[in-house]
Amino acid sequence: MSATNPLIFDRRLHRLRRDRAAATVAQVAPVLEAAAERLLDRLDDITHRFHRALEIGGRGVVAPMLRARGVGFVASMDLSPRMAALNGGPALAGDEEWLPFAPESFDLVVANLSLHWVNDLPGALVQIRRALKPDGLFLAALPGLGTLQPLRESLAAAEAEARGGISPRVSPFPELRDLAGLLQRAGFALPVADAEDIPLAYATPLGLVRDLRAAGETNAVLARDPRTPPRAMLPQALSALAGADETIPMPLRLLVMTGWAPHESQSKPARPGSANARLADALGAEERSAGEKAGH
Amino acid sequence: MSDTQAPAGGAVDPQLLEILVCPVTKGPLRYDRARGELISDRARLAFPIRDGIPIMLPDEARPLED
Repeated sequence: MSATNPLIFDRRLHRLRRDRAAATVAQVAPVLEAAAERLLDRLDDITHRFHRALEIGGRGVVAPMLRARGVGFVASMDLSPRMAALNGGPALAGDEEWLPFAPESFDLVVANLSLHWVNDLPGALVQIRRALKPDGLFLAALPGLGTLQPLRESLAAAEAEARGGISPRVSPFPELRDLAGLLQRAGFALPVADAEDIPLAYATPLGLVRDLRAAGETNAVLARDPRTPPRAMLPQALSALAGADETIPMPLRLLVMTGWAPHESQSKPARPGSANARLADALGAEERSAGEKAGH
Repeated sequence: MSDTQAPAGGAVDPQLLEILVCPVTKGPLRYDRARGELISDRARLAFPIRDGIPIMLPDEARPLED
């Protein structure tokens, strides 16, 4: 939230993209559902029951799945009010960077493929943690580095050829190794981040462009080149994508974050020096003082 | 009940109203049914409600005149 954070995304433009995409997002429901199913699978491994959930950016897919799993109250938030209205329940337009909820409002927060448009992810995570009751769960899926990589490369190659330089045309995506640290910094307990690949393939390059547009996922990077690209650029990039193969593989690398709002019942490392048995005894080994080196 | 008694901006889910706070100050909001707005006195902002959906975006809020 501080003014020193670099702004990467044009949030207002992204909101307009989502507003427009509310009418077409059903076209990409299969992709959103595949990601949401992998994400919500995590709930089935947990004995905990959840009663009050917030879902962020679910685009009409996540809220019904949560209700089907027996969560009584599911509020849906989206940057776009039209997109929020698709969820068939209590809905609001809101910004992850300006979360409008009282502390401890929810016992579950789910964000499916939405946090990758946030400028201040650490700040958003802190606000999400505060909106959770103690022992509440945060579950998020983000596209990770590697997602849309063939598109990124073919656009860069075509632009370099047409203009002699490149500009960001595909969003920067986070890396897996950054995420667990981010959760920990935001004060989540038992943070876990892991990755799954959803193999997607498109019959035609235009099919991919159409899907990205339908989902409201087209370029909203602030540093994007505002000039109209040379007319030949996009066709050239897309034809390079098509290659010799029949279909165009376009991986979605799904990074899944889980973290809990801290609670005393959770396991945590013991205080140093609080042991009541000696490790050496347990191992049947001879204990040496720290200053003494073991002989070779 | 007649239509004139429905709150402006449409009815908001009462459970949702209970947990909403001002996104800027995290302070309490006042529900102005007649105008269909959620008012943050501390931030001097009025957040509109459209079709029953509170628009809790700071740049969409109406600044309050004194």
